[in-house]
Amino acid sequence: MLLAVIALLVAACGSDDGGGGDTTAAGTETTEGATETTEGATETTEGASETTEGAMEAPEAIYLGAVVPQTGAFAGGGAQVVRGYTYAVEAINAAGGVYVEQYDTNLPLELILRDDESDPNKTTAIMEEVAGEGIVAYLGGFASPLHAAGTAVGEKNQIPYLGVATALQALHEQGYEYFFSPFPKSPDIAVSVYEMLNGLIAEGERPTRVGIFQEATDWGEELGALWADEAANFGYEVVLHETYAPGTEDFTDIILRAQAADVQALLSLPTPPDGFNIYKQMGELGWKPPFNLVVRAADVPTWNDLGDVGDGVLLSAGWHPDLGFEGIGPVNDRHIEEEGRPADPIVGGSYALVQILADAIERAGTLDTTAIRDQLAATDMDTVVGHITFRENGTAPIENPLMQRQDGRVVLVWPEGGAAGELVYPAN
Amino acid sequence: MFRRSLVWWLLVVAAAVVFGLMTQSERVLTLAIQTFIFGALASSWNILGGFAGQVSLGHAAFFGIGALVTRELWLDGRPLAVAVAIALVATAVAASVVGVPMLRLRGIYFAVGTLALGVGVWLTAGNLWPGISSLPVDALRGYEFTGPYFMALGVVTVTVALSIWLRRSKMGLGMMAVREDEEAAAATGVNALAYKMMAFVISAVLAALAGAAFAYFSVSYYPQFPFSVVWTFEAITVVFVGGVGTIIGPLVGAAFFVTGRDVLSSTFPELQVIAFGVLFILVVLVLPGGFVEGGERLHERISRRRTSQHQQATPDATPDATARESVKMEGKEKV
Amino acid sequence: MTQLVVQSALSGLLVGGMYGLVALGLALAFGVLNVLNVAHGELVMIGGYAAFFLFSEVGVDPLLSLPLVFVILFIFGMGLYQLLFRFIVRFDIETRIKNSLLISFGLVLILQAVAVFLFTGDDRTIVTGYSSNALVIGIVRIPWIRLAGLLLAVVAAFSLEWLLNRTTFGHSIRATSEDWSLAALTGIDVRRVYMIAFAISAALAGLAGSMVSLGYSVSPSIGLSWTLKALIVIVFAGLGSMRGIVVAGMLLGLIEGLSSVWVGNAYRGVVALVVFLLVLSVRPQGLFGRGSGAHV
Repeated sequence: MLLAVIALLVAACGSDDGGGGDTTAAGTETTEGATETTEGATETTEGASETTEGAMEAPEAIYLGAVVPQTGAFAGGGAQVVRGYTYAVEAINAAGGVYVEQYDTNLPLELILRDDESDPNKTTAIMEEVAGEGIVAYLGGFASPLHAAGTAVGEKNQIPYLGVATALQALHEQGYEYFFSPFPKSPDIAVSVYEMLNGLIAEGERPTRVGIFQEATDWGEELGALWADEAANFGYEVVLHETYAPGTEDFTDIILRAQAADVQALLSLPTPPDGFNIYKQMGELGWKPPFNLVVRAADVPTWNDLGDVGDGVLLSAGWHPDLGFEGIGPVNDRHIEEEGRPADPIVGGSYALVQILADAIERAGTLDTTAIRDQLAATDMDTVVGHITFRENGTAPIENPLMQRQDGRVVLVWPEGGAAGELVYPAN
Repeated sequence: MFRRSLVWWLLVVAAAVVFGLMTQSERVLTLAIQTFIFGALASSWNILGGFAGQVSLGHAAFFGIGALVTRELWLDGRPLAVAVAIALVATAVAASVVGVPMLRLRGIYFAVGTLALGVGVWLTAGNLWPGISSLPVDALRGYEFTGPYFMALGVVTVTVALSIWLRRSKMGLGMMAVREDEEAAAATGVNALAYKMMAFVISAVLAALAGAAFAYFSVSYYPQFPFSVVWTFEAITVVFVGGVGTIIGPLVGAAFFVTGRDVLSSTFPELQVIAFGVLFILVVLVLPGGFVEGGERLHERISRRRTSQHQQATPDATPDATARESVKMEGKEKV
Repeated sequence: MTQLVVQSALSGLLVGGMYGLVALGLALAFGVLNVLNVAHGELVMIGGYAAFFLFSEVGVDPLLSLPLVFVILFIFGMGLYQLLFRFIVRFDIETRIKNSLLISFGLVLILQAVAVFLFTGDDRTIVTGYSSNALVIGIVRIPWIRLAGLLLAVVAAFSLEWLLNRTTFGHSIRATSEDWSLAALTGIDVRRVYMIAFAISAALAGLAGSMVSLGYSVSPSIGLSWTLKALIVIVFAGLGSMRGIVVAGMLLGLIEGLSSVWVGNAYRGVVALVVFLLVLSVRPQGLFGRGSGAHV
């Protein structure tokens, strides 16, 4: 307590903008569901991620720092992430919150939600800011660049960082201990598309000539290489492998080359809006292969603006409400009611993160971030994305479902069975 | 007069050193480091843009090179000092090579030419270094702000010291002569191209130094980022808001920019950007000469009030001052 | 291979037409008012949203809504001028450029943030019934929507030239840009001239925005890259000629398109910039510029 006062004094004297002296009444944040953004940075250590030994005074809530792209290139995906977090936090709080043994009481979860504008540099800056607000965990945003930047901060501050919507395997090979991502990774994605093609399409009819549009980014390189490497294992041939810089306006040359190579299965992983533009221009050039997998770009609900030319493309977004896992029902119902359509792909994954976190906090019995981290590593539970356990590198054995846009809806097509729909092939 | 201001500067540096040793708040330290880096970058631009009058829009290219070379070599195992030294040399060479064709251009042609250069370098950097640059796990776990703080402080101190020296030196005079009127200067025997080159290279190397500080400080970022044109635009903004051509202007501007953005982002998370834009425009409209000019006018007003209290206010005294001010506001009358 | 080269070249020319269209408005503002409006790209963005919502909410075809978008952005431009830019036009050229750069930078921040607030950050695009249709000539396809963009650019350029050279109003604009104090002495209402010129510049940006919405996609953050392209095109063309701007834009697009074929898509932008710089070093005044490239 004394330390906190001294820290406040030093910060107040040192800070030349008085920003450190802001106080917010912690009580202003709590509403029934408690997902509001906090205004003003508090230097108070009430949120208690550090010293809570001996202090039996419980904080107001369990603070979770969510730095998500709500504007910029990834805003569409970011909106799904926010929905997932919000739904989960509200559902858990409605059921009584999280029991923390240390204080022998139930505490509500509270999201501190900030926008990083799809800019990885803002991600890190905001994460640092938010660290001072007593959070017990970071909830990540959407897309590999942001996670790539953010996970380092989580590791540095020794605060668990949970994220979905990133398939970059390389992030899990840096020896991080605080990063957890129960989401399909590049190796899973690379294999699943070939498995699906072989599983659903008869041998003589498969689109064996594969073309890859690889964007010049770290994840582009990683997944592009894996697609190329795995192809032969499943009986496919890569006849085209083009690279382009994100943000290009004109894709004429790569489209024409793909056409000339008679590509039958086009695999790409574009950052928005490149995905839009590629398919729009394919329409103008009058060519579209019978099979299209567009990872990431086709996730956004506004893909429907493309009309026919965007129809029939496959998404690899990690989750679909028709997978039938425990607990999906209420989430899907709420989404239909509020958004007018079944739950978007990333909503499931982000919902699951909060479930996993709440479970780990309960098992830890404390709000100490390292203890929570240890319990996260020991996760063994059912969530809306299935049964989750973590490997040492922070990934989880998880299936990679594939979905297809059909007439404006997103239909689950793989794995087959259950509520899965039919693959529309050829799709041009 | 100079000695007095020198003493003042030394006191400021000393205070910053003490501050760095005493402050515990990570947030404050981060703001300080960002202010120093920005201040250094802005000051470096000021040498080319403010002293020599050449508006370069490709400045970030050198900031980026400094950051990239430093980061790559340092994370590869070289000692930081060696990495920085190599980065500076590489930048000096690049700037010398590029400066020759660039500086044949004038005005907006030079501006857009350097812009094209900057964008081209940015694109290439993104293609060649697509992966994130994160500090290795051990460095992350043991991360301390002290090192980066003092490096950033050192960088901005060196940059400012060099600016001060330059302003008073023959080289600086040559640059300013070129700024005022390049033809006239050439006519009086000043080698305009040589002075412009000197400004260009010095400015580039100092930008690279700021980039090195950025590389040392940052936990994780994409190597393409320091090359982004946004850095150039923000540096120029900072210089003009503070007061172009002055020494203290870029520093004041940087402090305002960094802390203003931070304060606003905590207070109005959604409206932050709008609020900053509005604030910014107000500053430009009300104080076209930047904060430094604002400070000077305030100072004038205060001292005028003092002297008029000592003497009888004569009708002649005030019209002169206002006449001088209105000439200032009109800007230089150029043909 | 031939098809690849020819089609790439053609697509490049068409994209370049767009570059020229975006650059026209900025050239007008800069050439006439000496106002460097780096928020020009944001005006393009607003035009794009205007066209998008007229299409998606009201059902107006983007080509038909062009005049409406023109008017909307014209009014918006007048408003911006009255609110901001009129305060700096009394300064000398250098100060004017500096201050307009700064003010428009603030404007970029504001307009982007407001756009996010109003429209969300999602990318929007217009797809009409004819979006995929193209004029097929032998081995090449000329998509109608891109051809429309190019035609619009050409028409706009010629209209602008006609306006500036053959109308009284155009003469007053040129007189004012030469020497505004002298123009004022001859009875020209300088402020009104400036305001209208700026409004036209904004309206042109709006037209470009419509085509961007139709041909590409629009989101709050697209402004900067179009502004950068426009700046490069303007200098490439050289100050002074409106027609030259569209030609320069097309040339830039052509270089990008052709370089893709041999250097790959990832470096097309870099090659175009390098060529731009090479040309500039040989011809510092730009391709069609008058003067020695020495003046501001």
